[in-house]
Amino acid sequence: MTRLVEVPAQFDDRSFDQFAAAFAEAGRNGERLLFDAHAAEWASPFGLVGLLAAGQAAGHRDTGHAAKPLLTAPTHPDVLGYWTRAGFFREAAELFEIHGKIPKVRVTDESELLLPVTPVHAAEDVHAVVSRIQQRASAILASELGLDPKATMGFAMALSEACQNIVEHAGTGGWAAVQAYNWRRTLGRRVVVIAVGDAGVGFRHSLEPTQSRRLGDRWGDAAALEAALIQGVSRFRDPGRGQGLAGIRRYLARWNGKIAIRSGTARIAIVPPWDEDVPLKDGLPLFPGAQVLIIIPEQESAER
Amino acid sequence: MIQHIDVHALLQESVSAMYADLVTRPTGRVVRERIERAIAADGRGGVTIARMDFTGVGCIDYSCADEIVAQLLRGRPAVLLLSGLADGHREAIDSVLTRHGLAALLERGDGTLETLGAPEAAAALVREVLARHLAAPTSGGALALTPG
Repeated sequence: MTRLVEVPAQFDDRSFDQFAAAFAEAGRNGERLLFDAHAAEWASPFGLVGLLAAGQAAGHRDTGHAAKPLLTAPTHPDVLGYWTRAGFFREAAELFEIHGKIPKVRVTDESELLLPVTPVHAAEDVHAVVSRIQQRASAILASELGLDPKATMGFAMALSEACQNIVEHAGTGGWAAVQAYNWRRTLGRRVVVIAVGDAGVGFRHSLEPTQSRRLGDRWGDAAALEAALIQGVSRFRDPGRGQGLAGIRRYLARWNGKIAIRSGTARIAIVPPWDEDVPLKDGLPLFPGAQVLIIIPEQESAER
Repeated sequence: MIQHIDVHALLQESVSAMYADLVTRPTGRVVRERIERAIAADGRGGVTIARMDFTGVGCIDYSCADEIVAQLLRGRPAVLLLSGLADGHREAIDSVLTRHGLAALLERGDGTLETLGAPEAAAALVREVLARHLAAPTSGGALALTPG
């Protein structure tokens, strides 16, 4: 029997928990999954990377059959075209049995798509991502977001550290994507969004050997995320470890940006004044691995 | 003796020549090992200062800065003099040195020196280079390497 997982019509970080709940429920009995995105109208980089992580996780489950999970592609031509140009189907073809006619368009270099969905497995992939983003992001960060041109290096650093989280901790591969767009929802300004995600072991599992005893009964996904993002804790005992997320936080503090990390059943965020997110959520539907969202807004003239 | 280390050249020998960025711990480890070998090879001539020139290097992330500069200093092969640093480089290196309680010298474009890293370690480093006559105050009150 095949179980249905509906992909939200507007698929981003806000609707992700709805998707995660459907994924957790459908996957309970180990049956083959069908991800239904036929009615999708829009997906953020976070949504696209999250859908790939779900496909990766569904393929790795002990389902008793070798078939890949199914994916019904969006039917709206514009949506289908965008997902294709964003590199989603290039990666999805490895993970899903795809139903729907995928247009033969190239993964694109259009200006707003700073980094199409890109696989990250090893250090070499991080080099490729960082090299590409510096070539593409400088003009947009400076001219459209009003960041100091020197901020491009910090942006590349933030992306590098987020990607290394996959390489060093996930135990599997993941994906990164970067896009600029108009953020009508709460801000009414341009933003650049970084999404990095995987379906690996997640923060709790990664930190458990060194941190769980210290936190005792409090130990769980939320405590692991707090330890990593707020306290700069790493699974390695080397005092030089754990600086990557702290570095991202410093960069975002300077440019009034946001970071949110979802792992397991919890989600943590450093919330800037322009956003209404909550700092920590626990008891969310279980979703494997870790999903990182970084948002850098256009600077208001007083901030420039 | 001052040894000159071209970090960009070592990076390109270590990873694909396509890349100019010091990112990831594995890359940092390989570059650091090459620097350590270079210092050890010249150590027979008595290297006292290793001038690491970052000209041409793109982005440096915290992981790579930690793996190269902080780990090198923990081995204390020589006084580290960093040159050719962009603002982004400086921020990452200063942060990791501070976290480890370490310090290095930064050579500005005009040849004067300043310190990066933890304040106490930086003060001790200045005392050391003055005591060893590796550097001296300039007429303007800054610090510069002594000739020769």
